[in-house]
Amino acid sequence: MSLIIDSVSKRFGDVEALKDVSLQIEPGEVFGFLGANGAGKTTAMRIVLDILRPDSGTIVWNGKLNTDVPRETWGYLPEERGLYAKMNVFEQLVFFARLHGVKAKAAERETREWLDRFRIPEYADRRAEQLSKGNQQKIQFIAAILHDPQVLLMDEPFTGLDPVNAALLKEAFAEMKTRGKTLIFSTHQMETVEELCESIAILDRGRVVIGGSVREVRRSTGRQVVRVAVDGDPEMAWLGTLDGVRVTRRGQDYTEAEVARGNDPDEILKAALSRGCKVRHFEMTDPSLEQIFIEHVGQIDMTERTLAPKAVQA
Amino acid sequence: MNGWRTLFPNAWYIAVREYRSRARTRSFILGTVLLAIVAFAATQAPVLIDFSMSSSQTKIAVVVEAAGMPPDSAGLLDSQLNGQLTDPNARKSYVVSWLPADDLASAQKDLEAGKYDALLVVVRDAGTKDLGFTLRTDIPQDGRAVQSITTALASLEIEDRLYRAGTTTGALRAPFPMAVVPVKGPSIATKSISQEVSATLLSTGLIVLIFMAIITYGVWVAMSVAEEKGSRVMELMLNATTPLQMLAGKVIGNGAAGLTQYGVILGAVLVGLLAQGPIHKTVVGTAATVSFGGLSPAVLGAFVVLFVLGFLMYSLLYAALGSLVSRQEDVQSATSPLMMLIMVGYFMSVFGLQAIDETWVKVASFVPFFSPYLMLARVSVGHVEPWEFALAVLLLVVSTVIALFAAARIYSAGVLLYGQRVGLREVFRAARVSR
Repeated sequence: MSLIIDSVSKRFGDVEALKDVSLQIEPGEVFGFLGANGAGKTTAMRIVLDILRPDSGTIVWNGKLNTDVPRETWGYLPEERGLYAKMNVFEQLVFFARLHGVKAKAAERETREWLDRFRIPEYADRRAEQLSKGNQQKIQFIAAILHDPQVLLMDEPFTGLDPVNAALLKEAFAEMKTRGKTLIFSTHQMETVEELCESIAILDRGRVVIGGSVREVRRSTGRQVVRVAVDGDPEMAWLGTLDGVRVTRRGQDYTEAEVARGNDPDEILKAALSRGCKVRHFEMTDPSLEQIFIEHVGQIDMTERTLAPKAVQA
Repeated sequence: MNGWRTLFPNAWYIAVREYRSRARTRSFILGTVLLAIVAFAATQAPVLIDFSMSSSQTKIAVVVEAAGMPPDSAGLLDSQLNGQLTDPNARKSYVVSWLPADDLASAQKDLEAGKYDALLVVVRDAGTKDLGFTLRTDIPQDGRAVQSITTALASLEIEDRLYRAGTTTGALRAPFPMAVVPVKGPSIATKSISQEVSATLLSTGLIVLIFMAIITYGVWVAMSVAEEKGSRVMELMLNATTPLQMLAGKVIGNGAAGLTQYGVILGAVLVGLLAQGPIHKTVVGTAATVSFGGLSPAVLGAFVVLFVLGFLMYSLLYAALGSLVSRQEDVQSATSPLMMLIMVGYFMSVFGLQAIDETWVKVASFVPFFSPYLMLARVSVGHVEPWEFALAVLLLVVSTVIALFAAARIYSAGVLLYGQRVGLREVFRAARVSR
């Protein structure tokens, strides 16, 4: 009872879109694909959906190869959003639902229900081209879930949504999760991932650089983040002199430092107390996903950036 | 290709959507109405021709100054000018008024006033005793009217000479045995000119119908594929359906929309043909013989079979080519090779109609890309053995199935390729690994 992506590779000409990607996504889980543009997120989704065929490797859902899984198992919100511009919203939603095998009556009822939930029932009789981009996106989301799919794959679902609509979408996510659906989505927005996902995989140029539950990933570095604030000593210059401690950010409310693997964050607390400081804030946490992402993916970008000026100077 | 098992009902839903979105466009509705009006008007062409023929009537005044004319000269001249008319009420092309000899002056006045188109004066030569004629008229000397009158007067002259030699009018006009039989004997049914002409006209019409359907409705299929790609709704469709379902739905939906348009046009033609009689009677004054131009069940059956198969094969190819472009604007250039192929077949059939028994026509009538036109031409004009027709249809069916597989492959690869116009190499590479 899970989605298993087993050593999948896919090549487009000279570009290796996916290289030996293996992942396991548990049913009922919210899973996030993280990666820069061109990392292979869309290709991975298309291969899971059997829209593309991999060069090697297999995808198995519930013990069945994805080529044998009924199409209505999947709900898909593509990154390239599109609707029939001249067709009215209601008709086109019913059309998509019926393509997935939903009976006409049920399709119409579900369509009305979801339009109400997204607070856009008045758009039922409008043509798609008359809607704003954000509203079109909501229609596309409805098109992806009307047939009550077991697994929902969404490519950048939050891009282009205002905060109100993003909140509506998150509500819908929660609803799908309570119905026991498996949700897989890709995004750039790390806060969204930390807020919603249980498991993630960070893709870089076709490879999974790190994957697992969000907790595991955040702890993977072995470092810990300490946020500390003391009364009367906003600089806390002594902090950087401690063994294995590196100050990463000095803020108004607190100073953030990283404690290397093998060092005890309690040493910071002890040092503060021994200096007679009054500790106002002390917080221990794991590095944020953003930091981990930049560590794994950003390094390459940085070397590229440092290489470029050298070439100019020479 | 797991789409085979589940071609329906999805292909059907897609066909219905395609049909609706096509039939609701303003261009479709306007085009259908306009074409129906044109088709109706075209069926009334015979009425118009008869009307213009009947309105051009030549009035001739005859003044006979000669003595001893043969009896019933008037009847002879009339039948020579107007032919043997079966309908006594029909309008005559020539109206001949015989005037007394002393009316020459007033007849000349009437001629100048335009009451007559021509004044014929008949005299007898004192020496040879032959009849002599003077035709006073402003109608062209080398025109049909003057020629007809000259021929009619030659008959009158001959009858006059024989009459003077002592032959009676009855003996002169007595019927004589005369039969026209086909080369292989009287048991073979003869063909009239009008039958032959209408068979050629009919097959030209039917070929144009197939030609127009393929180039118009085939392009619709390509356009609708490109539209889905352009609006990026394609990926949603790809998850919901298989390329084969989409392909089938599009060809059926657009084909049905095309057939609807054709149905309306053919309906207008039928109404026009049925109305031709009454309209003819009101406008021209006589009943017309309505002709369906030798449309036999065999020709009609062949037309339907070739129309459906030809349309299917070409629209599948159109869909495949349409999947290779990213924008609707590029459809024209992407489908131009196919257009060339269709044009070649069309022109071959136009020339083939004039040389229906040539070997190249026979050979080409089996080639799948051309058989919808050329086999139809041969069925309606020439002579076709049943096995020849069956072979052509079989080849067409086989190539349609091949087109279906090839199109589904190209399509499923092409629909995900965005960007520049896709070359053949990219398509083949993508087609090898697509589902």
